[in-house]
Amino acid sequence: MRNYLLRHAQVFFYSLGQLARSPFASLMTIAVIGVALALPSGLYVLIDNVQRVSGGIDSSARISVFLKKSVNDSHAEHWTERVRKIPGVAKAEYIPPKEALAEFKRLSGFGSAIDTLDNPLPGVVLVTPVLADADAEALTALVERLKKSSEVDIVQLDFEWVQRLNALLEITRRAATLLAVVLAASVLLIIGNTIRLAVYNRRDEIEVIKLIGGTGAFIRRPFLYSGALQGLFGALAAWLLIQLSLSVVAGPVADLALLYGSDFRVKGLDFRAAVALLATGALLGWLGSRLAVGRHLSEIEPS
Amino acid sequence: MIRFDRVSKRYESGHDALMQVSFDIADEEMVFLTGHSGAGKSTLLKLIALIERPTRGSILVNDRNTAKIGRFRVPYYRREIGIVFQNNRLLMDRTVFDNVALPLVVSGCEHRELGRRVRAALDKVGLLKKERDYPITLSGGEQQRVGIARAVVNKPPLLVADEPTGNLDDTLSTEIMDLLADFNHHGVTVLIATHDLRQVQRLGRRVLELHNGQLDYDGAPAP
Repeated sequence: MRNYLLRHAQVFFYSLGQLARSPFASLMTIAVIGVALALPSGLYVLIDNVQRVSGGIDSSARISVFLKKSVNDSHAEHWTERVRKIPGVAKAEYIPPKEALAEFKRLSGFGSAIDTLDNPLPGVVLVTPVLADADAEALTALVERLKKSSEVDIVQLDFEWVQRLNALLEITRRAATLLAVVLAASVLLIIGNTIRLAVYNRRDEIEVIKLIGGTGAFIRRPFLYSGALQGLFGALAAWLLIQLSLSVVAGPVADLALLYGSDFRVKGLDFRAAVALLATGALLGWLGSRLAVGRHLSEIEPS
Repeated sequence: MIRFDRVSKRYESGHDALMQVSFDIADEEMVFLTGHSGAGKSTLLKLIALIERPTRGSILVNDRNTAKIGRFRVPYYRREIGIVFQNNRLLMDRTVFDNVALPLVVSGCEHRELGRRVRAALDKVGLLKKERDYPITLSGGEQQRVGIARAVVNKPPLLVADEPTGNLDDTLSTEIMDLLADFNHHGVTVLIATHDLRQVQRLGRRVLELHNGQLDYDGAPAP
């Protein structure tokens, strides 16, 4: 067993040495793999960050219920009391037309010009749904229920744009998955091609090893290590690329967040995601190499 | 050690390389295989090394029917045969030591044992001082001796050589042949394919002569 591990360690360092022996070719391959892996991974990081932004908004999903002008304050208060009892409603707050107008006056800056008007604003009830029920279906059901009330004029779901964003994110996520699959396949092909060339370059050596009794596994081993190492280094390059890109946008994003009064910060790949990325790279490299070696090794027979 | 029983080999091209060849080579015997080029010498050696399989007939090597050795057992079978090639087939990007060590590395020899056995083999062919050199810096005769060291390093009971002196002058040929005879003296069965009749005469061992794929002569070298 010790002997076995020792031999694997030897092959590992031998393969590492082989890569170092042709640094330019190795770097090219690693760079190509790096870009191929960085694209989907970067997209995932983007989705993750956008989701964290929209996640902060989810909790403030609110329903604005505009009452009919004919509904007076006490009637509205009474109605709001009833709304509070609907399951799925966390809070319901009535804003009388007078208050709404005062707020509008304060915020719009029209000042006393508004005093000359009759109050055009209706009474509004702000309904906050229970967070746990904040999935699209429950919210829609709640909106429908509120709409049926004879006191209600318009129901506006502030949540709608979040839903749209989420739908958009879902599309992007699917696109990223597709992209990941396509690019994983291209990594397989890149490594497969590199290994195919390596196999042909070492044709004589392979023939000799076959003649002196080297097994298929023995001959494959250095190629498999080489493929896995290139995949691993490619993944490392992808990781660097992502971290570098994030550090470029981190400053402006922080500034933008500050303007919105948020302390949002761009988040890169965490430890687990980074390990997964590296493992994926190594695995793809191994697999690409395995496919290529399996195909081409049997073609080389001593003669 | 080797028994051919009515062995025929027809290549896919339709060429009959060997026809009904039968012979026995005893343990610890040294035999020359001669014949014009294209007579079937190489094919015969390929059949022994399981590079090719016979179309008809049976081949026993070391009391084992080679027909029963499956594809995945071939590497282990080949470890029992030392093969010396005409163009030595050394790996030029590795040192003499690494070249000779290759059969031991392939069979998973322990590290300390490996160094000891490689040096013993290099000592036997008189190249112990060149272990760190690259084959390209050696002369043709020295390269061939490295090839022989590689063939014997894991102490196979059978040594097969294909034109081992093909590219060498007389003095070097004598040196190489004496080296092979010395291994035979130490109990290794040796089969040498060659058209170097001078060496065949000189050593006076048994000769198998092929002619157009058929065994033409089996006995002492013709005077």
